[in-house]
Amino acid sequence: MQLNEKIARTYLILSILIFALSGVMLYFVLTSVMNNRLDQQLLYVKEVIAKRIKYDYDIPLFEEPEELTEIENRVYPRDTMIYKDTLIFHAIEGVEGAEEYEKYRQLTAYETLQGQRYKLITRNSLVRNQDFILIITLSTVIIILLLLTGLWVLNIQIAKNIWKPFYMNLDRLKTFSIQDQNPIELEPSNVEEFKELNRSIKNLTLKLHSDFNNLKEFSENASHEMQTPLAIMQSKIELLLQSAKLTKVQSEQLQSIYQAGQRLSKLNKTLLLLAKVENQQFSSKEEVSLKTIIEKQLENYEDFIINKNIKVNTDLSDKTISTNTVLAETLISNLFSNAIKHNIQDGTIDITYIRDILIFSNTGNILQQDPQNLFNRFKKASTRKDSLGLGLAIVKKICDVNDWQISYSNEKNMHQISILFKT
Amino acid sequence: MKILIVEDEIELLDSMASYLKNEDFICEKAATFFEAEDKLISFNYDIILLDITLPDGSGIDLLKLIKEKSPTTGVLIVSAKNSLDDKLTGLDLGADDYITKPFHLAELNSRVNSLIRRQKFDGSEIITFNEIQINPSSKSVTVNDKPIILTKKEYNLLLYFITNKNKVLTKESIAEHLWGDDIEMSDSYDFIYTHMGNLRKKIKKLGAPDYLKTMYGLGYKFAE
Repeated sequence: MQLNEKIARTYLILSILIFALSGVMLYFVLTSVMNNRLDQQLLYVKEVIAKRIKYDYDIPLFEEPEELTEIENRVYPRDTMIYKDTLIFHAIEGVEGAEEYEKYRQLTAYETLQGQRYKLITRNSLVRNQDFILIITLSTVIIILLLLTGLWVLNIQIAKNIWKPFYMNLDRLKTFSIQDQNPIELEPSNVEEFKELNRSIKNLTLKLHSDFNNLKEFSENASHEMQTPLAIMQSKIELLLQSAKLTKVQSEQLQSIYQAGQRLSKLNKTLLLLAKVENQQFSSKEEVSLKTIIEKQLENYEDFIINKNIKVNTDLSDKTISTNTVLAETLISNLFSNAIKHNIQDGTIDITYIRDILIFSNTGNILQQDPQNLFNRFKKASTRKDSLGLGLAIVKKICDVNDWQISYSNEKNMHQISILFKT
Repeated sequence: MKILIVEDEIELLDSMASYLKNEDFICEKAATFFEAEDKLISFNYDIILLDITLPDGSGIDLLKLIKEKSPTTGVLIVSAKNSLDDKLTGLDLGADDYITKPFHLAELNSRVNSLIRRQKFDGSEIITFNEIQINPSSKSVTVNDKPIILTKKEYNLLLYFITNKNKVLTKESIAEHLWGDDIEMSDSYDFIYTHMGNLRKKIKKLGAPDYLKTMYGLGYKFAE
């Protein structure tokens, strides 16, 4: 539920309660006032009748007078006045044969007039009172409806004017990417709370960017600074290897050191490459033919393909894409390396490049991990020594910086990596 | 052949010089921009190995100086930066090749030799090792004047070995030379073994002795 909707709903519930309550109160106050007036009228009429009896005037009678019963005489021995509401059954005016009960206010007075006991009944219709209730209810409902429409219109206006910058900024925040070096542009607002929010977001994103850049620079610099000591290590070992006096044990130990150094150096090179792709250092673009690159790499990987007796099927269009050559070559090389490394003996690799979609599918063992993790760093399926677990991370990174979409799927027991090049 | 090595890391400078010295090259060393500039003005060199990042200046400026003074000098840039920009600037300004740290000394030697062949002999020089002759321009090989047919990988392998003759070449260095440095597959060492076997057979068939020696699983050596 939206905030303004929530506030509006609270207002609405409260006003309905207040209106209902005041309607009820109004009803009771009005009825009591009306009854009072009616009672006075009834009293007045009764007095007039009593006077007329006293002075022997004619009395217009509605019903035949009756004798007072014994019981009545016993219950009301003195002069008494009783006000009460009563229902009288009678015909409706103007309608033949229709009858109904109607509510009346009635005054019954027992009085001794000129030595004789009288029972005087005067009545007045209460139909008008019932009309009052109807009017009160109706007006309450109308006011509530008016309030509802008012609130609704107000809500729309508020959402349009006051909340608009807020929602626009929210959309911008949703698309915010830390990779994007431009500071986030926020829609200004004249509401103090939103101003404060904008300021905080701005500061937060600035800090995020600077931290991110520091981290990126750090990882690039660290990898970079490692290159020289690694080069010294490697060159010294290679010189030492030339010495003819090495025993078997010595050269085995030397080999271990050398291989560990090689692994470190390769890891470092790959991390540096990853950092450089991330830092957008491969920005120069040209028209690159994927077909040419794939065919070149196919030749380069020939030995590995023949060794596993892998059948390679290609269906490649000549269409070029605009990107960086080094990145395109790295991408294809890593896809090849992945498809060969995780392939089985006598397996197949299908490479298709049709209508902006490049698909590498290969046979292989069942994926041991969540496909979600496939493109993460150091998430390798096997504990193979020759696998750094960075190949697909680089592929993903290259796709990210170029705005290409990459996905993994498993089709007919083939691992399939598809890249959609946006045109 | 006179080579000037410009590199600010003394240890690396010494390694490079000591490896190349054995190859009948006269190596001179410069560890700073100033030292390198001084030597470049006073002497002539056939090949210059140039580090881009020097403590007191940029190798790019030295490159401009070299190209002004003697345009025929071959320049091989050696840099810890493998960023494309550096590579492009270097090659645009007349550098002939580019190698990134860390590198194999054998690879460096192979690059220097190929640079010399291109610079001095237009690639037409015949490389001779006893009865084996390699013609780099036509990529053909003869043994005892009889031609042998080699695959591309076998040819590259043989050229790499002969360029680095009498040196122990590690499997890693050979794999990188044959397949490039972005291939990280342990299988590649088995293929070296296969290619090596084929190469050995082909050469022996034409009456040459077996020059290829295995060094305890470390690598191989091409020697008499």
